[in-house]
Amino acid sequence: MIPARQLLSEIINSLRHVIAPAVAEPYPKAQAYMAAVILEFVSRQIEEGADLEAQRKVTLDAFFRDLADLPEIARLVDNSLPSELRLCKLIESLYEERDRLAPGAFTTANHRIRRTLRQLLDQELKIAKPA
Amino acid sequence: MGQRDIRTEMADIQDKIRDYLQHKLTGARSLTLSNFVQAAGGWSHEIYVFDAHWNEDGNERERGFCLRKDPGAGLLRELSDLKQQFRVLKALEPTTVPAPRAYWYEADTSILGGPFFVMEKVPGEVPNPWSRVGKQFYAEAAQRGRLPRSFVEALASLHNLDWRAAGLDFLGVPRPGNDFALREVAKWEGLIKQSLRKPEPVLTEILMWLKVNAPEAQRLAFVHGAYRTGNLIIRDDAVAAIIDWELQVIGDPMYDVAYVLSDLNREGSPLLSCIVDRDFFLDYYQQLTGLKVDLEICRYYEILYMMRSAAFWLSASGLFADGRNKDLRLARTTYSVPVVLDMAARALGF
Repeated sequence: MIPARQLLSEIINSLRHVIAPAVAEPYPKAQAYMAAVILEFVSRQIEEGADLEAQRKVTLDAFFRDLADLPEIARLVDNSLPSELRLCKLIESLYEERDRLAPGAFTTANHRIRRTLRQLLDQELKIAKPA
Repeated sequence: MGQRDIRTEMADIQDKIRDYLQHKLTGARSLTLSNFVQAAGGWSHEIYVFDAHWNEDGNERERGFCLRKDPGAGLLRELSDLKQQFRVLKALEPTTVPAPRAYWYEADTSILGGPFFVMEKVPGEVPNPWSRVGKQFYAEAAQRGRLPRSFVEALASLHNLDWRAAGLDFLGVPRPGNDFALREVAKWEGLIKQSLRKPEPVLTEILMWLKVNAPEAQRLAFVHGAYRTGNLIIRDDAVAAIIDWELQVIGDPMYDVAYVLSDLNREGSPLLSCIVDRDFFLDYYQQLTGLKVDLEICRYYEILYMMRSAAFWLSASGLFADGRNKDLRLARTTYSVPVVLDMAARALGF
């Protein structure tokens, strides 16, 4: 069986260099080029997909575990929620409560949240970053 | 467009449009259409551009038309109303704002399968600033110098417009203070909520930051909402018409200025919107409008635009994923969401 990566590469080449240039109508021509672009992303998605899910879980678990040393913030966490939704709700609560928190608490927690968000973004960009 | 053969669909819609024009142009005989194309550029609406030829009182007539149709499941359908666009174009006709003349609006879905309106086909070209050819076009025009001036003048004509006198207050008028910025954030957050398939913590952080940092507008103006090359018809090195009237609002003119200043619209070009030098833009715009460009407020709106782009792409990819729209350009946008969130995160320092 031909490896999926190689097959996708050949289909992308065919779409970009054979099929799209031969199409005169603007709409279907644009669709052919777009199909080639999407397949490049899909190719990366196949390679990275399972790994990324695991990395995302590790990142979020570590963030919530480390919050134990910020008890004022940890009390804002709703542990009944799945981890990504839990983080969204914590971000909202943190902004809503910021004037009632101890001096510096918002900044410390926000800094830590943003560091985690950066890790999550970097993981997604392995697939989504333009070639 | 659905899965039917595209040539059959095009022939079918061309016949229906010809019949419609025949009905509207009373006195026209032997009406035919030529140069009929579906523009590749439209995201939220199907756009058809064509020339009509007919005989009237023994004289041969020819006129170019552009038709925008609601496809039923296009991008921004909830935020971009064709009837409102038509009213805006009608309101702009007696003003100095360069815009196409609007002819007819049709709410009757039995004619083409969705509401639509017909407007003037403005002679000129709309080079795509993301393409190699488009980039070259704008770079050469920038060298000649006339188009950059015209680009700024057309924007100033929008912001200097007496929008109340033009009857544009039907768009909704924000209260003084930061109401405009908060309304924009709420508008796009609404689209995100409709489109989101899983929680997105980066977007939540950006939205919360935007809500607590919303700036006050120094004055209210008629704002296009997407003023850039690609949304302008160019003829003889000048802006012949501003198009894509989908996101216009009464609001802070810095909203448009920030869009011009944004890196989102120049993809590596040293020129704003691939056409105008930054210092020249700021000087000439301030001279023409009497406004002081507040770069800190513009920075806020640039981040709002990044959130807005994420909302666009989430909505677009959601339409494709739900099977409501088969345009592959919408599918591609699922990969644009992390990229634009990355831009916003970097602008916020993380």
